[in-house]
Amino acid sequence: MLSQSEKRKQRSYSASFKYSLANTLFAVAAAFVIGILIMLAIGADPFDTYYQMISQSLFTFDGLMRTLHVAAPLILTGLAIAVTFKANLFNMGVEGQMLLGGFCTAIVGSRFQNLPPFLHILVCLLLAMLCGMLFALIPACLKAYYKVDEMVVTLMLNYATVEILTFLSEGVFRDPTSGYVSTATIQDSAMFSKLFSSDLTSFFFIAILMFCIIYVVFKYTRLGLELKALGQNVNFAEATGMNVKKKIIILFLISGALSGLAGAGWMMSEKFRYTLSFSGNPGLGWDGMLISLLGAHSPLGVLIAAFFYSSLKVGMSKIELFTNVPGEIISVIQAFMILFLSVTIFSLKKSQERKARKEQLSR
Amino acid sequence: MIDVVNKIIYDTILGTTPILLCVLGGILAYKANVLNVALEGMMLMAAFSSCLVTLQTGSYLLALVAAILASVLFACIFSYFGISLEGNVIIIGLGLNLLALSLTSFLLKIMAKSELVAANYKVADYRLNIPLLDKLPILGPIFNNHTLLTWFSYVLILLMAVFMYRTPMGLHIRVVGENEDAAISLGLKTKSLKYIAVLMGGITCGLAGTSLAMDELGGIFTPGMTTGRGFIAIAAIYCGQGSPYVSALYALLFGFARSMALNLSIYAGSASRIFNALPYFIICFILMISSIIKNRHSHKRGY
Repeated sequence: MLSQSEKRKQRSYSASFKYSLANTLFAVAAAFVIGILIMLAIGADPFDTYYQMISQSLFTFDGLMRTLHVAAPLILTGLAIAVTFKANLFNMGVEGQMLLGGFCTAIVGSRFQNLPPFLHILVCLLLAMLCGMLFALIPACLKAYYKVDEMVVTLMLNYATVEILTFLSEGVFRDPTSGYVSTATIQDSAMFSKLFSSDLTSFFFIAILMFCIIYVVFKYTRLGLELKALGQNVNFAEATGMNVKKKIIILFLISGALSGLAGAGWMMSEKFRYTLSFSGNPGLGWDGMLISLLGAHSPLGVLIAAFFYSSLKVGMSKIELFTNVPGEIISVIQAFMILFLSVTIFSLKKSQERKARKEQLSR
Repeated sequence: MIDVVNKIIYDTILGTTPILLCVLGGILAYKANVLNVALEGMMLMAAFSSCLVTLQTGSYLLALVAAILASVLFACIFSYFGISLEGNVIIIGLGLNLLALSLTSFLLKIMAKSELVAANYKVADYRLNIPLLDKLPILGPIFNNHTLLTWFSYVLILLMAVFMYRTPMGLHIRVVGENEDAAISLGLKTKSLKYIAVLMGGITCGLAGTSLAMDELGGIFTPGMTTGRGFIAIAAIYCGQGSPYVSALYALLFGFARSMALNLSIYAGSASRIFNALPYFIICFILMISSIIKNRHSHKRGY
């Protein structure tokens, strides 16, 4: 039997979950409605477009496998953002960390030769994670020791990373045989092999493994609890004796490692060489931000949101073949989703206040 | 050699204009404690609409009006979500940047174009040739032949400083940013003051977009053409801590870095790109220094 207070606590948890679900669903629905309006405005059939999108990404074997494949880096970047956002830290540098990981993999993957495949892939993954962590260390230390706003620093370092990587891939590491700016293609031993003769590779299972680890960390470990405490009230957390500096650095390092891993995996399973459009437009890191927002910064939510968003992405890359709607519509819908998710429309507190006011009036 | 130096300084003045206009727009929002990350997106929308309207009508004035309208529309969305609905302004700003980028690419695709070129527009017609200045040996090539908008952007520094420090509304906006509770207790309408700060930023961002597309590039719009200028403006605002003069100086410094990157690429190849990355490192460094100075004698807890 549950005691009275435990029962009440449980009810409040489920209520707050209900409200956050309502917010998410509202944002998704509103963004899709705007998508419909835009498609009507350009004279396309929105329902046919959505139908094509879903059927191409979920109801064919190749499409489904492609959806899972694309979801892998999105799960990782989503988790990378969720780990910091949940603690009320804002690592906006996931995009840059991911690019750095991808670039490092491109170099290590093409320059190291005659390594056995397993070892080569392992070296690439570890170095990419290290790169992401090094990037994340800068804002983490600035935040922990000097209280510098980590949002601004990470945002700015993203752009610095892009410029430096462009310089490196145009200059020192450019593949002279390629007609456009790109690094050399990575060795066969550094490529993930395709499974079931589809796009799916073992990178997907690495992403799922990472998800499981983060899920356990969030739910059952001290770090997970401390992370939530940090997110709810950092001053209170510090007053109870938590070493906040250390926790900030650890969380940023985890976030950086996940982002670096995402870049490495995307390089070794899809792109095989660093080009200026490696991360797509918008980049995988920004997709990760939307996914984390959609999933309310919980690991399970991130997983579901990553699959959802990946199916959209795959579907949209196909609809240009079947309809006359440009694939950019997905980015427009994504932007509106971010806008609607950034505000809370239904909240437990507001509805309680409303209820209290009503009771007061009726009395 | 002297030609290169002249070209670098001329390009600095020209290239700083959009950054400077963005800085002056963002500075009010910064002072009102609303960090406007959407500067980049607002500038992009303005550049797109000014280019499109010029292409359709050929009128520079209409293009300017359209750019300001587009930019202010984005500022309205930003302030409604960020101020009225109290969302996280950084996430809203990034969402709007993404919206501007994807919306303009989407519209270009529908028009079946990869870029907009206003062929009916000649930027040379709008460059001011000042009679005596063109005779001077060194100053002539540097300061002559700028557009009206460039001159206006430098005058705007003074106007903005006067608005911020010499008018009641400027004072009120700064009070809202410093201490919102105090502002409420004084009976100030904090929300509308924040709205005004963001919307005025929208107007100057509209000018910035026009300056970028019409003056600097001569009537061309390409997707994502702002390439981080909005963020450089934010860096300048942070480095100058919201003072119009100091922030404008930083904008000039960053404009100089961009101009070096542009002009030295002939000699140094892609290595000149390092200059493009410079502003982003400078801001991190300056934020660190200013934070160390601020917290030197403080034993206050909290983050």
